[in-house]
Amino acid sequence: MRKAIVTALLLALFAGTAWAQNIRIMGYGGNDPAIVVRLLEEVIGDELEAEGITLTYEPLEGDYNAALFNALSAGTAADLFYIPVETAPGIIATGKVLPLNGLVDVDPFIDSLVEAYTFDGQVYGIAKDFNSLAVVYNKDLFDEAGVAYPDENDTWETFADKLRAVSALDDDVYGACFQPAYDRFGAFALAAGWQPFDADGHTDLLDPAFVEAVEWYASLVQEGAAVLPADIGQGWTGGCLATDQVGVAFEGAWVLGFLRDEAPNLQYGATFMPIGPSGQRGNMLYTVAWGVNADSPNRDAAIRVLEALTSPEAQQWVLEQGLAIPSREALADNPFFDTGTPDAEANRVVFQGASDGNVAPFAFGTVGTAWMNPINDALVAVLSGQASVGDALANAQREMDTLLQR
Amino acid sequence: MTTATLAAKAKAAGISEEAFRRWQARRRWSRAALVYAVMLFFGILLVGPLLFATVSSLKSDPLEYPPSLNIAQLDPRNWAAAARLGVAGARDRWFGGFAPGAVVPFEVRYFVPDGVEAAPPEVVVPRRRPGAGLGAVLRIDFAADYASVSDVRLVESQAGTVLDADGEAVPGTFLTYGFEITYEGEGPEVQRLPLDVTASPGVRFVGSTLAPTRMERRGRTASFDDVAPGVLGYVFHNYVRVFNEVRSPSTGQSLFLNWILNSFSYAFFRIVTSIAIATMAGYALARLRFRGRELIFILVLFAQMIPDQVLFISNYLVLRDGLIDFGGFKLSALWGQPGGLLNSMTGLVFISALQTATVFMMKQFFETLPREVEEAASIDGASHWQRFSRVVLPMARPALGAVVVLQFQGAWNEFFWSFVILTSPEQVKTLPIGLLSFRNTYGGIGDWGLILSGAVLSALPVIVLFFVFQRYFLEGVSFGGGKE
Amino acid sequence: MRQSRADARAAYLFLLPFLVLLVVFFGYAAVRAVYFSFTDYDMFSRPEWVGLSNYRRLFEDALFLSALRNSVVYAVVVTTTQTFLALVMAAVLNQRIRGIGFFRSAFYMPSITSSVVITLIFLWMFQRRGVINYLIEAFQRYSPVLGAFLLLAVGLQLVQVLIERSRGLPAGWLDPALAVVSLLVAGAGTWLLNGIGVVYPREVPTFDFVWLQTTDAVPAGAPFWLQAPLPLVAIMIQNVFTTVPTFMLMYLAAMQDVPRSQYEAAALDGAGPVQQFFYVTIPALRPVTFLVLTLGTIGTLKMFDQVAVFGNAVPLRSMVTLAYFVYDRMFPGASLPQVGFAAAAALFLAALTLIVVLIQRRFVRSEAV
Repeated sequence: MRKAIVTALLLALFAGTAWAQNIRIMGYGGNDPAIVVRLLEEVIGDELEAEGITLTYEPLEGDYNAALFNALSAGTAADLFYIPVETAPGIIATGKVLPLNGLVDVDPFIDSLVEAYTFDGQVYGIAKDFNSLAVVYNKDLFDEAGVAYPDENDTWETFADKLRAVSALDDDVYGACFQPAYDRFGAFALAAGWQPFDADGHTDLLDPAFVEAVEWYASLVQEGAAVLPADIGQGWTGGCLATDQVGVAFEGAWVLGFLRDEAPNLQYGATFMPIGPSGQRGNMLYTVAWGVNADSPNRDAAIRVLEALTSPEAQQWVLEQGLAIPSREALADNPFFDTGTPDAEANRVVFQGASDGNVAPFAFGTVGTAWMNPINDALVAVLSGQASVGDALANAQREMDTLLQR
Repeated sequence: MTTATLAAKAKAAGISEEAFRRWQARRRWSRAALVYAVMLFFGILLVGPLLFATVSSLKSDPLEYPPSLNIAQLDPRNWAAAARLGVAGARDRWFGGFAPGAVVPFEVRYFVPDGVEAAPPEVVVPRRRPGAGLGAVLRIDFAADYASVSDVRLVESQAGTVLDADGEAVPGTFLTYGFEITYEGEGPEVQRLPLDVTASPGVRFVGSTLAPTRMERRGRTASFDDVAPGVLGYVFHNYVRVFNEVRSPSTGQSLFLNWILNSFSYAFFRIVTSIAIATMAGYALARLRFRGRELIFILVLFAQMIPDQVLFISNYLVLRDGLIDFGGFKLSALWGQPGGLLNSMTGLVFISALQTATVFMMKQFFETLPREVEEAASIDGASHWQRFSRVVLPMARPALGAVVVLQFQGAWNEFFWSFVILTSPEQVKTLPIGLLSFRNTYGGIGDWGLILSGAVLSALPVIVLFFVFQRYFLEGVSFGGGKE
Repeated sequence: MRQSRADARAAYLFLLPFLVLLVVFFGYAAVRAVYFSFTDYDMFSRPEWVGLSNYRRLFEDALFLSALRNSVVYAVVVTTTQTFLALVMAAVLNQRIRGIGFFRSAFYMPSITSSVVITLIFLWMFQRRGVINYLIEAFQRYSPVLGAFLLLAVGLQLVQVLIERSRGLPAGWLDPALAVVSLLVAGAGTWLLNGIGVVYPREVPTFDFVWLQTTDAVPAGAPFWLQAPLPLVAIMIQNVFTTVPTFMLMYLAAMQDVPRSQYEAAALDGAGPVQQFFYVTIPALRPVTFLVLTLGTIGTLKMFDQVAVFGNAVPLRSMVTLAYFVYDRMFPGASLPQVGFAAAAALFLAALTLIVVLIQRRFVRSEAV
């Protein structure tokens, strides 16, 4: 009799544990663990639990891409992981990402985002959200300078005038913070009418549009109307904004969470990128997708989790928390965007900015992020006054050619 | 100097021997003084950065410029204030808090230049989540949900002047405002009570009961991370944050504690394995005669010279796949998990077990031991193992002491292999790699207070060990030569 | 003969764990590294034999050439600096004065803490608005005052020595008693001059030199192979800071073993303290110097930790070393691993280390080790 009870208990225990599947997720560190954990607790946790699925989020701090490759080759990668758009070709080339055609319905998602993750006709990731750049400005500084806030009708000239007015306030105050790197500057090159890759897959850095953008960018720094983050001890332009020393930073919606922590009392506003000499704005599309591990032992459960994470409810919640911009088309008209808080305004600007003007995704084909290096080097050289625009760009073009040839 | 030469020199100088001796004594004393001065100078150069970093780790913003040693956390007035506020908040002088029934009194002082309209400042208890990133995962209670701020009333008004940026005196009034923050009703004890005090434009902030954590909005808002901190909570704010804010998203445990425990257990296992392996190998190389002795010497010498990175490719793959990969079946399957020995303490200890320098050190030490005792034992019929364990090993205590100490230091500071092997999840990392994680998460946003505090905390055990066991450290260096 | 057979058997048993580890983690690893260097392997598919092409590509790779240049310049500069400084400091500390033990322990502190801790501290200090720039600016600001002080001190010392010599006393140029007086009086004099306004700190522009986020190299006009990138200079300073105490201790231990009789013999021959140092101490320290140089070279060629900790604060090209290059090719992050390429670089590094050590052995012929 006792034996029967014990066996029954053991069976029940086994059944319980066999029934519950633990899905691991790998993603960025920083703010993301909080977002995923809260999403789980407040929105999708219950329905997943009912199906016996539990989630564990493993943030990969530091260089996410290196750590992911490490994990993929070692076989320790999680069932679900982030696929950043700029390294997608490399990650998918490992063969460890499951093609999702037929397993997940990709219709509801924004087309350009689905395309960014389609290779050889196979869809490898579902974009969880996206971001673009906006002009985030410090209202107090513009008030002090007695100048109107930047708005959606600003051209490069009127915008520069406003920056100069702000930087005239004090030695320590600057109109804007300019990152000497492609990941922000690119939007300006695009606004001047430049395209990253021409029909042959070649990159022309001596294109007059590109040169014009570099010259405009550099002239503001040399005048003192703009400053480099490193010059005020910061690592990025969001940090500049938090110091109360700059009037404007060009960032996506990710800066809002940062400001909430580091400068909770900053009165900020957001507007669209200024209109460039080509008559259009420029912008870049940053996105990260969920991908499923092809070797995952819990494939069905992983796909179920993927669906839950990108469900309308989850994306609605994420949007309302002001955490990210959803990738579902249907949410474009969501009332959240009209609530009028600075958060909502900024999010709306970012969302609409993705389809306004000359917008390119933040991706560089198979060369990977190394593509940005020649451009970044040239920008650093020009903006710190060490080289003339012509010399720096000539050098960069040479390096770029060697890079693309390999 | 002999007396003869002394007399000769005194004569040559034309003064008495006594005077000459005094002149020499003066030289000796001043030489000693100068040597002490030079030592002090070197000391400042070498220890200064560490001390300055430690002091700066207490600051709310170690990146402040110009860097100064005059920080709020070291001001005794702030300690007294912090203690008082802690007691008012939660009857805890050391760590403070905000408990039901608490009434926390607070005062702020402003200077209003003549001609500027001054309304009482706006006081708000914000609903603020502590820290960024990993800390944000914490499910904490917010003080804002339970706190209510009383009306701000004018406590004191006093005419005076301040100097502006150009050194000109500006006349105006010093206004002191007071208010209380009350815990309404019942509820949990909250750890932190943040506060934002915003003044009207043109008004200058002069002081408050407790120094603010940061000034925002170009000086208009004084932002406080915690106004009921308690003395330790105030002075060691960053250290408390290191333990409390950085938590694993899956287990909710303090990551820093995990890292410390991992480092300790790694050190323990590494000491045990290296002593076991190195003493045996060193004894064999020192005492026993066998073919291939010279060859092993040369191999050991080579192994010491080759950098880790050269052999790391293969060794990493060995840990990941096991020794042989039969086209799909890997020996690591025996360990029952994908990824073999990666991300595990076993793998790390395994790869650190090869300590050629220690083997060398033990060999050299054993060679210095007198053979007679061993020979006596062997005549008595002791086996090799008995000779080794009962006779030689007990005599090796001083060398073993040095080995333990050096291996602890090596294990505590080990970087390369932990960096490569321990990547995910966060809980398996050792302290140096955890610190790197810190630097990546918080360096980008410039939260150097946390990074420096973490660094100081991780340096403490080895420094303590050093001061207690100095002899072994210094002996080990002159013995084996060089850092591990 | 049974004894030696029993000996041999016991020896192999004692050595077994060590030998197993040595074979697997050293022997097998070396062989595999050689094998991989002739293949193209990305860890996701099978290795493909490509012969010598990895080695050829190495020398066309800009990052590898930077790594090579950085490693060599770093090794040369740091080894010589740390050997020289360790020797000087050991000479200074080689005194029989009370409290010397305390100083010795205090000086050893930087060496015992982990490289990550020291690197983090120095990363913080080398920020653009950091401690080091602040100190340099302070030095620039106070340079007139310091200059005045030095001039006064040297002048007073000269005057005093001349006076004493004219009186027949055998005072050396660096006579300590006179030096103390010179320094104190010079200090008072400078303070006076400051008070009456003749000498005062001057206005200097903010010194916000960029140490880290830059691809600059010094000396500015020199050819590529003789330049050191600024971030590398910062790492050099940090490394010297960490390793000098260890080597100083080694020198100190050796110095104290030099028998007094040798010094006395030299003194009898008329050698002053400086000459004694050059003709007695330094030759006696030959074996230790060899050890310090060898360990220093091997250690500097291995430099890895600092590059990993500095991470994205510095452009990779300006601080990459051969050791980090191997790691970077194994786990590039933005693309697939290039194991074969990494193995080729690793073998190059091993060969370089061996060659350097052999050269040193030849030139600093010694009986030690």
